[in-house]
Amino acid sequence: MAKQFKPSIVTANDLVEGTAVFLGSEGWSGDISNAMIALTPEQAEEFEALGQRHVKNNEVVEPYLISVSLDSGAPVPLLRREQIRAAGAPTFAYGQAA
Amino acid sequence: MLLLDRTGEIDDLWPMAGDELPSSGRAFVPFSRLGEAMTCELELGVEIPNTLDLSELQPHLGRLAMISVDFPGFADGRGFSIGRKLRALGFLGRLRAAGPVISDQFTYLLQCGYDEVALPDHIVERQPINDWLAQLSLVTTGYQRGIAGRGSILDQRRDCSGQQ
Amino acid sequence: MYRYDEFDHKFVAERSAEFRDQVRRRLAGHLTEAEFKPLRLMNGLYLQLHAYMLRIAIPYGTLSSRQMRQLAMIAEKWDRGYGHFTTRQNIQFNWPKLKDVPDIIDALAEVEMHAIQTSGNCIRNTTSDPYSAVAAEEIEDPRLTAELIRQWSSLHPEFTFLGRKFKIAVTGSAEDRTALKLHDIGIQIVERSGEVGYRVLVGGGMGRTPMIAKELRGFLPREDLLPYLEAALRVYNLHGRRDNKYKARIKILVHELGIDTYRDQVEAEFATMDRAAVSAPSEEVERIRAYFMPPVLAERPSVSPFIDQMKSASPDFARWLDRNTFAHKVQGYVAATVSLKPIGGAPGDATAEQMRAIADIAESFSRDEMRVTHEQNIVLPHVAIEDLYKVYSGLAAIGLDAPNKGLVTDIIACPGLDYCALATARSIPVAQRIAERFADTSRQAEIGPLQIKISGCINACGHHHVGHIGILGLDKAGVESYQITLGGDATESAALGARTGPGFGYDEVPQVIETVIDTYLSLREHPRETFLQAFRRVGMEPFKDALYASA
Repeated sequence: MAKQFKPSIVTANDLVEGTAVFLGSEGWSGDISNAMIALTPEQAEEFEALGQRHVKNNEVVEPYLISVSLDSGAPVPLLRREQIRAAGAPTFAYGQAA
Repeated sequence: MLLLDRTGEIDDLWPMAGDELPSSGRAFVPFSRLGEAMTCELELGVEIPNTLDLSELQPHLGRLAMISVDFPGFADGRGFSIGRKLRALGFLGRLRAAGPVISDQFTYLLQCGYDEVALPDHIVERQPINDWLAQLSLVTTGYQRGIAGRGSILDQRRDCSGQQ
Repeated sequence: MYRYDEFDHKFVAERSAEFRDQVRRRLAGHLTEAEFKPLRLMNGLYLQLHAYMLRIAIPYGTLSSRQMRQLAMIAEKWDRGYGHFTTRQNIQFNWPKLKDVPDIIDALAEVEMHAIQTSGNCIRNTTSDPYSAVAAEEIEDPRLTAELIRQWSSLHPEFTFLGRKFKIAVTGSAEDRTALKLHDIGIQIVERSGEVGYRVLVGGGMGRTPMIAKELRGFLPREDLLPYLEAALRVYNLHGRRDNKYKARIKILVHELGIDTYRDQVEAEFATMDRAAVSAPSEEVERIRAYFMPPVLAERPSVSPFIDQMKSASPDFARWLDRNTFAHKVQGYVAATVSLKPIGGAPGDATAEQMRAIADIAESFSRDEMRVTHEQNIVLPHVAIEDLYKVYSGLAAIGLDAPNKGLVTDIIACPGLDYCALATARSIPVAQRIAERFADTSRQAEIGPLQIKISGCINACGHHHVGHIGILGLDKAGVESYQITLGGDATESAALGARTGPGFGYDEVPQVIETVIDTYLSLREHPRETFLQAFRRVGMEPFKDALYASA
């Protein structure tokens, strides 16, 4: 049985900054709410190919697709790993704040 | 393919032999054809995979003028040990590293006994020959002893303290 | 301490220039990410979930105050004000930018440090005993040997593209504090009829196929050290598997060949090589030895009325003294452990302010020297007993006075899913919750020696296989699940922990640990029978029953 397609976005790490970034219509953004959301497998493939082109331009590293929930209006990754990446910080207070 | 050594681009004097071996001069053959080539009066070069048991090659080392070691990928470092082993076994001919190695490995290759590098075109496109030559002045020193092409910091220290 | 000479300075300066050039060529597209990755890893630079991560070597765990202050400076200038001390005597910064890393590496070189080979498929930072030059039973300071190996292994032209990473540890004591048997090569300094040499172990490791190292050589004369290592590495480089990343460590080669066949191959290589051309000249060995002469410590009284008085006055100090000090070979001194495991903190983390404070304390009271331990703590190796209250007060002022060395809250944890790109589950918050549950210091003391080690994935950076209680975080269909192992041991009596059974959810872990510990307390024969001793006596069953009976 084919896996049911879930809405997806393309993410990568910025080559220079290292931060998690998401592919939007205006390019890469650190804010997941700017991400272009693929609603079909074809769209997902298209967005991923676009991401790969930016690898060749030395903008980002290792783009890949992640599944998101749209229940809250903005995309929220389904996997905890991706939720932590999108938040841009550990799940606990760190450094001076700890 | 681009062939280079520490002086820059060089001519390839070892084109791979065709189905029929030449009657004189040089012949460059894969390891599987070495037996056949050995029967001719030729200057011999052989291409070996990096998985070859060198004891199979050892009896013929005196007969070989060139050995080309395959580097299937730059991260597969077996060829570095093969180079050092071949030199330790007394091989005095030309030693070539063939494959998609990167300029950052150039000095290591030379230090492991290689003379030249045969690069596929897609590497040369991104890593021009200047990157390779620049590497020679970026890496000039090292600790290990018994390494080709450079002294060892350990010996330099001893020599310095001996002079004092 | 070892000090760089002009040659060492030139070496790290060249490496720094080379890395700066590699970054330039990466940004210019000469190098693809696939090509750049092993090069940046060889300079300690990872790309993690949120940012790059730079891992800096602290060779054999020894740091001077000046070096510690420079780490604090780096943390503030190029990172977010803190660093993370690791289980392999390194420090990691979690937030550097790629463009700043060459500058950070230059700043390290200023204080005779580097990040060379802290990652990648090459020979990693050589680790050693944090009680070097302290432990009474030590045959010789292992750092002399570790420094020889550091130099020999640094950008070895033959061994920088191995099949997989390669970790070496050296100990000078029979009592092992380096997890020697869990290293690719473990070197124990031994004495045979008056001659000091090496016992060489091979093929230990953690990861998804944990193995205890086997003996490769019972006695190796010291002048043969480097040629023998070269032979051992060459056999591995040529014959280790490269078809599968998870089978590429030397432990798999040794396991598949059998130790005897591997040994035969190494000995054959060793017998034919030009050993004299490879081994370190004796002048060089003596030159390095001079840097590791024990500090001149005048003997002092082993009892201090002042300290005794403060002990009576402050139960907290008394507890810290009891737990966090280690007998020194010179009378009147101890090695004191700065616990980087405050309750609720991230194990191994220290802020720039804390690093500076520890550096100041070390400068005043520990001969300007610190050691990083594989338990992710800092040791002040040479503290006069008379000074211990000042040291303690200084640590209390920065919140690093936890009297918990070797106790249930002295938890090893990898960065886990909060930082690491490889992780499958969180580790640090799990450690924090367990520590909070056992925060009561008298309860910790009652439980006694107990090591909890947590890894956030099968790669086992948190050493869970050798934790008395090991915790391995996995991903089960998108949900964090934690497997528990019991009975692991990282010391000379090394053992791998056994799994209790099915894993537990993130929220369940603190209660699971409490159940294990309550079970131990109820079955121990007397208060001095440790968790590990009790486990070895009774086995898994009582713990299994307690954990799964009600389910």
